[in-house]
This record gives sequence, C-alpha cells and structure tokens, in this order.
Amino acid sequence: MYYVDLAVTGLSFGCMYALMAVGLTLVYGLLRILHIAHAAVFALGAYITVIVANASGSILLGLLAAIAFTPLFGMAIYRVLYQPLLSYRPDVPMIASVGLLVLMQDAFRIAFGEQGVTFQNNVYLFEIFDIGGERVNAVQIAIVVCTILVFIGLHLFTTRTRIGIAWRATVSQPKIATSFGIDAERVRYLCFAIGSALAALAGGLVGLLDNLVDPVIGYVVSYKALAIIVLGGLGSVRGTLIASLVLGLIESYGTIFIGSWLNRDAIAFVALIVLLLVRPQGLTGVRAP
Amino acid sequence: MSAYDVSVLSVIGINVILAVSLNMISGFCGQISLGHAAFYGAGAYAAALVMIGSGSLPLALLSGAVAGTALGILVGFTSLRVRSDFLAVTTIGINFLFTGFVRKQAWLGGEMGISGIPGSGLGARGNMMMILVFAAMTIALSVYIGRSWMGFAFSAVSEDEDAAATLGINAGAYKLAAFGIGTALAGLAGGLYTFFTQFITADAFDFIFSVMLMAMVVIGGIGSTWGVAIAAIGLTLLPEAIRFVNDYRLLVFGGIMVLVIRVAPGGLAALARRLARGDAK
Amino acid sequence: MLHPVSKFVSRAGTILGGLLAAAVLALTAPAANAQIKIGFQAPLTGFAATDGKSAMIAAQMAIDEINADGGLLGQKLQLVPYDDQAKPDQAIFTANKLIGEDGVKLVVNASYSASGRAAASVFQKAGVLMIAAYGVHPDITTAGDFMFRLVHLGPPQGEATALFIGKTLHLKRISAITMDNDYGQATMDGFLAAASKYGIQVVNKYSYALSDRQFGSIVASVKRDNPDGVYATGYFFTGGPLISQLRAGGVTAPIIGSQAFDSATLIKIAGPAAEGTYVVDSFDRGRKDAALQKFFADFQKRAGYPPENVAAITYSAINLMADAITRAKSADPAKVRDALAATKNYALLTGDLIGFNKLHEIIMPINVNVVKDGKFVSFVKLDDLTAFAPPDK
Repeated sequence: MYYVDLAVTGLSFGCMYALMAVGLTLVYGLLRILHIAHAAVFALGAYITVIVANASGSILLGLLAAIAFTPLFGMAIYRVLYQPLLSYRPDVPMIASVGLLVLMQDAFRIAFGEQGVTFQNNVYLFEIFDIGGERVNAVQIAIVVCTILVFIGLHLFTTRTRIGIAWRATVSQPKIATSFGIDAERVRYLCFAIGSALAALAGGLVGLLDNLVDPVIGYVVSYKALAIIVLGGLGSVRGTLIASLVLGLIESYGTIFIGSWLNRDAIAFVALIVLLLVRPQGLTGVRAP
Repeated sequence: MSAYDVSVLSVIGINVILAVSLNMISGFCGQISLGHAAFYGAGAYAAALVMIGSGSLPLALLSGAVAGTALGILVGFTSLRVRSDFLAVTTIGINFLFTGFVRKQAWLGGEMGISGIPGSGLGARGNMMMILVFAAMTIALSVYIGRSWMGFAFSAVSEDEDAAATLGINAGAYKLAAFGIGTALAGLAGGLYTFFTQFITADAFDFIFSVMLMAMVVIGGIGSTWGVAIAAIGLTLLPEAIRFVNDYRLLVFGGIMVLVIRVAPGGLAALARRLARGDAK
Repeated sequence: MLHPVSKFVSRAGTILGGLLAAAVLALTAPAANAQIKIGFQAPLTGFAATDGKSAMIAAQMAIDEINADGGLLGQKLQLVPYDDQAKPDQAIFTANKLIGEDGVKLVVNASYSASGRAAASVFQKAGVLMIAAYGVHPDITTAGDFMFRLVHLGPPQGEATALFIGKTLHLKRISAITMDNDYGQATMDGFLAAASKYGIQVVNKYSYALSDRQFGSIVASVKRDNPDGVYATGYFFTGGPLISQLRAGGVTAPIIGSQAFDSATLIKIAGPAAEGTYVVDSFDRGRKDAALQKFFADFQKRAGYPPENVAAITYSAINLMADAITRAKSADPAKVRDALAATKNYALLTGDLIGFNKLHEIIMPINVNVVKDGKFVSFVKLDDLTAFAPPDK
C-alpha cells in the first residue's frame, strides 16, 4: 500500500513535470535554444490565474485568461529576443533568456509582493476524492487529466493536421520543409504560442496545487524542465512525457530512501547523468550515426 | 583604498579567473559548461579543509586547483560520451550534484558550511594583491593558449570535430585538456575565495552563479580572453554601481543583460572589432 | 596593425572607465551630520525577500517612532539600510560599505544565517556592534564580543520543542521532517538530541528542500508511520503546503512546526487544515500589551499585511539598541556593548528577555502558538530555561 502511495505520488509529480516541460520541448525541438525564460512564462501564467481568479471569483476564468494571454507574451519573446539572434551560437539567446527570467522574477516581486498571492477561494484544492484508497484532490486529478489531454492533443495535432505535420517537418528537416513551401517563421510563432499556453496552464495548475503563487515559483522549472527534455530525447514530445513520469517516480522513491545523503534535485540529476552515460541519446532519442 | 574597495576588487579578480577559465572550456573548445561553479566550489572546500588541517597557504591553494581539475576531468570524460546539446544539461547536473552532496555531508559542514577558516596571513589587502596577480596570470595563460597550437586544436574541435580528426587532432584528448585546465583554474579561484570570506557554504556555488559566469563569457564575446575579462569586471561592478536602486536591483540587472545581448550579440569583443573596423575606414 | 588594437584598447578603456566612474559616483555617500546612524542589513531582493521586506518596514517604523519621540541623546536616528540578498559575499560588501563609506558603528543585521555569519567577522574586526535579529548561525556570536543575537539558536529551539512535545503534549512517536538548510537542520538537530530525554521516539526522519512545495512522498511515508505527532522545520511557504497536504492525505496527528511557520500567510495557504497546528518559539500576538497592539496596527497599516516574527524581532532589535544607547548615554560601540550585555528584563515584542549569557545569546522563555479559529493564539510559555539553555562559549 505504501509503495503504491509512493507510485501514485510519483506519477502525480510526473504529470506536473510533463506539463511544465512540454512547452520547452516544443521550443527546443524547433530552435535548439535552451529557452530558460520558459520559467518566466510559467510564472506569468500562475500569476494571471490567481489574480483573475481572485478578482472574478472563478478559477476556471483565471486559467482561461492565463492560457489566452501568455501566447502573446511568448511570441513576443521569440520576436524580440530570439529571432534576431538565430544566427548566433545557442548560448547567446540562452543568456538573453536568463536575463529575461531574472527581470521577470523581480518584476513579479515588485508588482505582487514578496509574500506571494494566495487563492481566496481554492475550492478545488480542498475537494478530496478517495480513489481506490488513494486520497487525491481535484487539482491533482485536473493535472493528470490535462496531461493526458495535452499529450493526446499534441499527438493528433502533429500527425493529423496540416500545420502539425508542417511543424514536424520544420523540426526534422528545416531546409527541405521550406522548399515545400512551409513558412518556417509561422511555424516558429505557432510553436511559441502553443508552448507558452502550455506553460501557463502548468503554472496555473501548480499555483492551485501549492495554493501560493510567489516570485520564485518558476525557479525549479528553469532547470528541471531542461533535465527532463534532455532525458526524454530532445525535441521528442513522447520522450518528454516518459521522462517526466520516470523522473517523478525516481524522485518520489528517491527522496525517501536516499534523501539523507542527496537532496531532491541532486537525485534527479544523478538519474539524468547515469541515464545519459548508459544511453547517450536519451530515453527515446535516436543514436547519432 | 577602503576595505570596501579591497573586497570588491578581490571578488572582481576571482570572477575574472572564473570567467576566463570558463571561456577556455566553452569559448576556445566549444564545450558548453553550465556548471562551472561546481569546480569553483570543489576548490573552495578542498582549500578550506587543507587550510584547517595544515595551515599552509600554498598547499591549500594547490589542493583547490587539484580538486577542481579532478572533478573537471571526470566531467570531461562525460563530454566524450554525450552530444553537445546534452552536455550543457549534464554540466547543470554536476552543479546540482555537487551542492546537493556537500549540503548533506557533516564533515563538509553540511548546511552550516565551514566556518572559522584560518586566514592566509596576508591580510585583506595582501589577499587582494594575491588574487589580482593570479587573475593577471590567468589572462596571460589564456592569451598564450589562444595563440598556441593547443588553441588552434581547441578551435578546430569547437568548429567541427570530424574535420579536426582529419587533421590528426584527437578531439577527445583536447576536450579533456580544456576541461582540465579550465577547471584547475576554477578550483584555484575557489581557494582564493575561501581566504577572502574565511567562511564557505554550498549556496555560493549554485547553478545561478554558473549561469552568471556563462553570461560573462557570452557578453564578453565567446572565445575572446580580453572581452570576457572586461565583461567579468563589468558584471561584478554593475550590481554595486546600481546599489542605489536597491529595490529594483535585479530588475535593472536582468534588463541590462537582455539589452547588452540584443545590442551586441557577439559580445564586447565583436563590438570592439566592429568599432575598430569602422574607424579604420 | 597597431591602429585598430589601440583603438580597441582605448574604447575598452573608455567603457571600463565609464563603468568605474559610475560605480564611484554611486558609492560616494553624502557627508554625515549630527545623527546617530544605525546600519541595517536585510535581504531586500532574492529568495529571502519576504523576510527582508518585513524586517525593513519594521526597522524603519521603529526608527520613525523614536525620532517622533525626540530621538536619542538629543539626536535623530538614521537608518542606513543595505540589501545583502542573503548572500555571504554581498554581506561582506555591504558590511565594508557601512564601516568605510558610511562610518557606521552600530548595526542591526536582519538577514539569514550565512550572510549574518559573514558580516559578523567583518564587523567584529572593525569593532562595530552588531545585533543579529533572527539569524541562527551559531558562529555569529562566537565571532566576538561585539556580536549579539536576539533569537534563540536552532538547537535550543529544537530542545524546547522536544520538551513541549514530550512534557506538554505527552506524545511519544514522532515523524520528523527537516527542511534542508542551516536553520531547518540546526533546529531539528536540537530536537533529535533532546528527544529521548522526554520519552520521544523518532519513528522516521525525512527532509525536503527550500524550493519544494509538493510533499507527496513524505505524506505517504508519514501515513505509513502512523505517528502520535508530526514535527516539521521550515518556513511558512513550505509549512503551509506541507500541513495542507498532510491533512488532505489523511494524517490526523497533531502537527508541530518551527519558528518560521509563524506567519498569517501560513494560515492562508493551508486554509482549514492549519487549525490546531502548533508553532514553537512563535510570537504571542495576543499579549495584553499596549505597545504590542500598537505595533500590530501600525505595521499592518504600513505593510498591508500583519506582522510576523521577523518583523517583531527586528522592531525590537532597533528598540533594544536605542535602549542600550540611552543607558550607556553614548553611541560609542564599546559602551553600548556593555550596556547591552548588562540588559536585564527587557520586554521584546517576542517575549520578556531576561538577559544575555556570556556569549550574548538570549535567555528568554519560549512561547508556543496554536492556530485556533484561523488565528494564532498563545498556547503555552515554556520557561524551563535550563532545558533549552543556549551555549555560552
């Protein structure tokens, strides 16, 4: 029963990580930029959710507002920060990304206070369900459901729609894709829009789960999402999901059993490094010839 | 020169060593390293323990360099195994592994860190001079390597490993060399830091600081020793210069980082080259 | 060939010169006038900004009130604040600035442990008096005789918790959850060392990081432990979610938290789950004390949120400094130090300070709060001082 509890926790963490990381995978797969500012988009989504939810009384409205607004912010990041720097080594836009994250985190602190903002009426968090002996709250259920929907949605999108197929083509063979008339720029904007919306959804849900949105809410995302996308095999959405779930499970068991000599983050990265040494292409990546 | 000036110059010197040494690994040899603070930290802890045990300044500094390079060569080996995209994240992992491990070990001070480390015997001013001398030597070494055959081999590996192989360059060996030298210097910087503060905690060697070091390299101009050194000085002085905007400090700092990269993506070095070319018309 | 290089060097030199000039301009402080300067270090930005902000507001409030009352020794007080970001190197920079540029001789340090520790050696070497409001690194006071600390060290807090859990709550089997930082660990260490003295059996130990907000695996483990009580160290932003998740997970045993749980935001985060949580070494907000109630109202007005431990202790630190200056009839650090060391029965907002021991650690009873009807109320005062005596060397 206990080990089942830990597994449920691990999968729950894993879904949370999957939602946090999938937006980053989309960007990385397309541009090979470590979009560290993804954490700022995540945090922005969390703040919009809590502010709108508190102002309107509806948490759903808060989430929708976050998902609707952040794509604009994400696309703006692409246009202002990355597009002019595409011809440089990836470290260059990455540093711009870091600068943006530092700026945004302080902006959140100045605008909304160091103490953070709590949800005034977080009904979903306090609604507990007993599923087969496991006690979960409505937010955790929402996270799992969203994860499933998002990943199925992305799968269908990239295999069944024209735009989605165009996106996949641009990722794997950019030059050939353009010669087929695919507008790479539109694909990139779309990528940032979707990636940001997903980051915002993740931010809003995590804010609900913690019942607190503070300026450092994006901190863990900034490095853990990077680890996950590498673990999964860069640019692979499916790999991100698998890596997230695996990491969630490793953390859940790891923090209990080896938590006395390695902290949580270290455990996550040990797993990453060990895996990369054994399988350098990540969980689902293709080994370079 | 006030105690404040001495302390700022000391940290500037240390950051110059760190940034220039990182530039050897990431700039010269193209191996992206986002965990440089781990080698810095390894050096600091080694120097602290040796100083407490032996009281010998040279031995402590040497241990720092050795600890840094030992960890560095280990990481260098992983760079042989994983692709460049992955290397960046692996180095982040090393950083977290280092701090995560140190914080749990009572003999390394755990969360409290190591306190009451004996002074170097040189006093604050003497420490500063020592640091600045080492910083100058680091810059000289970097300039020398940049112009030497080793530097050529590094840049060949950085550009195209396979092509480098056709020139008879053993990419693996040179990557290890880059890591080895760069991290030895980082470890030395760690030892110098230990004598500066006489109190170290794992927090000083976190991922955020590694990112700041990479920012110095990028803003300075990847591959340019002088650019990186100047960027290190500038980025260390900047928070002090804008201290009067206390409340908005990080906002301004982040904003300046973004601005500089957008205006001069090739870094200060590229900017300088552009200006020089422009004037020579 | 030399032409472009020299141009580059001169351009680089200009840029560097400009940066240095800007730095020097920004660093030059205006000349001092007839005021008593109190230096102040707090983490105004960075991960510790919540506490830094509270401390800053409280300190300025104390200074303003003293000045409104006519100041000290016929002079006004001036707060000279610096942001140390809770980082040791920033603590050293700002300490040097306070000593060198601002000519400050008396400092209140309202920062975390590591930065407080780094600043302590700098101040001690310069003969500057420092009161650490709430930093718990043991070596802050061992740095020398100009150092004072106004909060109980981690280990004594932990020992007091063991006393409370064992003798007051009569609980035997405890699951212990530590936050991975100096404060969390030191407090837990004190608890673990004293646990057996009061018949407490620590069933299991767990730990988590400052950045953690989700404790699923710990909750599952505590459920399996089925303890009589749960003791956790941490801050309100970790304690809040932890309490909420423990209760949601079905853990009904009493939860005892450490000092930094003591914030109204904890109750906001945990909601109804917070009910019945005990917080050891917390701030008795309900004391029938006019000064306390006034502080409460004034702080709420200035800050927009109710004060917690950090605000209260920082406010008291400034007031105690002022009191010592008055008793010493001088702002000379050596005289103020002696007056401070001789303090007897001074009412801090956080409790009645009986005095300082040889190491300038406080001798003071410890208050335990409980959350009742969504508010903190005092539950018991532990005054068995020998049970949690701080070290004296």
